[in-house]
Amino acid sequence: MKSNEPTLSRRSFLSTTWKLTLGLSGLLGLGGLLQYLGYQSEPASPTQFKLGDAANYPPGSRIIVPDAQAIIQNSSQGFQALSLVCPHLGCLVEPDKEGFTCPCHGSKYDPNGVYRSGPAKQSLPELRLEETTDGKLILHTD
Amino acid sequence: MRPSFFHHLHPPTIPAAQSRFRYTLGAGGLSVYLACVLLITGILEMFFYVPTPERAGASIQMITFLVPYGAVVRNMHFWAAQFLIITACIHLIRVVFTGAYAPPRQFNYLLGLALLVITLFLDFTGYILRWDESIHWALVAGTNLVKSIPYVGTGLYGFLVGGGKLSASTLTRFYAWHIFGLVLAMVVFLTWHLFRVRRDGGIAVPPVELRQDLTRITRFELVRREVLAIILATVVLLLVSIFIPAPLSAPMKQNTSVVADPRAPWFFLWVQQMLKIGNPFFFGVLVPIGVLTLLALIPYLFPKPIPAETGKWFPKSNRMAQIIVASIGLFIILLTILAMMPTQ
Repeated sequence: MKSNEPTLSRRSFLSTTWKLTLGLSGLLGLGGLLQYLGYQSEPASPTQFKLGDAANYPPGSRIIVPDAQAIIQNSSQGFQALSLVCPHLGCLVEPDKEGFTCPCHGSKYDPNGVYRSGPAKQSLPELRLEETTDGKLILHTD
Repeated sequence: MRPSFFHHLHPPTIPAAQSRFRYTLGAGGLSVYLACVLLITGILEMFFYVPTPERAGASIQMITFLVPYGAVVRNMHFWAAQFLIITACIHLIRVVFTGAYAPPRQFNYLLGLALLVITLFLDFTGYILRWDESIHWALVAGTNLVKSIPYVGTGLYGFLVGGGKLSASTLTRFYAWHIFGLVLAMVVFLTWHLFRVRRDGGIAVPPVELRQDLTRITRFELVRREVLAIILATVVLLLVSIFIPAPLSAPMKQNTSVVADPRAPWFFLWVQQMLKIGNPFFFGVLVPIGVLTLLALIPYLFPKPIPAETGKWFPKSNRMAQIIVASIGLFIILLTILAMMPTQ
């Protein structure tokens, strides 16, 4: 063997190539598997909800929109749309006299959805409410 | 006669101490028996259960109220699954409190812990298959816990529930895991666990030169005791299954917050109680994994009990391991009791 030749023997070359091919195939297979399992077979949830006439939500009312998992409140400050999904672990909070309480881990919020106590540490997310020119309400949950 | 797996597990004679009830509590054997009951009753349920949101509840009601002996089959499956968690935990505690996890059995101890985790996952997926109102928040909170894991959480969540939100795909996936993926893992690990028992020298007892009691029992005596235990366990399981029905509520409706039972299944109540404190990832993922890691490290952290004390209750040379497992047990029981107390 000449001294300036690289010292990679045929055996170790083949062995390295074999391992690299095997590793690469494994990675490709794993990537495919992840894509396969990650496919979303159900359509995504809608993010817009037509709520009808604003007049259906009179001042002082608190009306739950079950499909949107949200509540529409009409107070002296105008309309407020709150998500009812607890920011802690996603259970739906329940309205009560003092505001909202999460049944799962006991987080509490005031009537405006502001965090009061419990593990959530955040307020209920406020959602965008659009009022069209003809007086209809559209709720955006995205 | 050609030796079989049965002969591997039942040598011609074994030390009498290895099969004494007051030593083993029969917990490992009972767990194997309950796993067999679960396999058989589970196969029977598969003939009727339909894993779709629309029909899951109705098909369970059909098994329960219309199919002859269906209620007994379903109740036996339910109760055997609950008892299995208890017998497996008793088995774990027995193994630690008798120092039986020490080398050469440390690997089989890990296999046993893996079986406990598989059992808990099987219990949880089986619980979700009811797809009724009472499981809704457990499903929401449980899957959102996975989402709370940094970096990989969202991907793992999609893999678990089959999409970006809970849907019919979620039921399909939980069904696939429950009846195939987890059961396959259970069969492999359980067979391996049993095989290792004999490989590691049978149930732990002191080496022969230090043994005070040299009596041995035959294979026939061992089988006689096993049959007796199986008959007793079957009678208890049947009685419970006949008189206490497994729970079932109205089918789950999407987006409701009105009627759902916010309680986790009883074996995860301790996690739910910790989640009332705060950060989901820390209390719901890291702490349970920490508890499991601590249990797994026991054979590696603490000295091997002295040979004369191997396989005896509460070896003095191994107090630390006993204290740690007892503390974990008390911690879990205390949290469970707190969670069961009515709020406000």
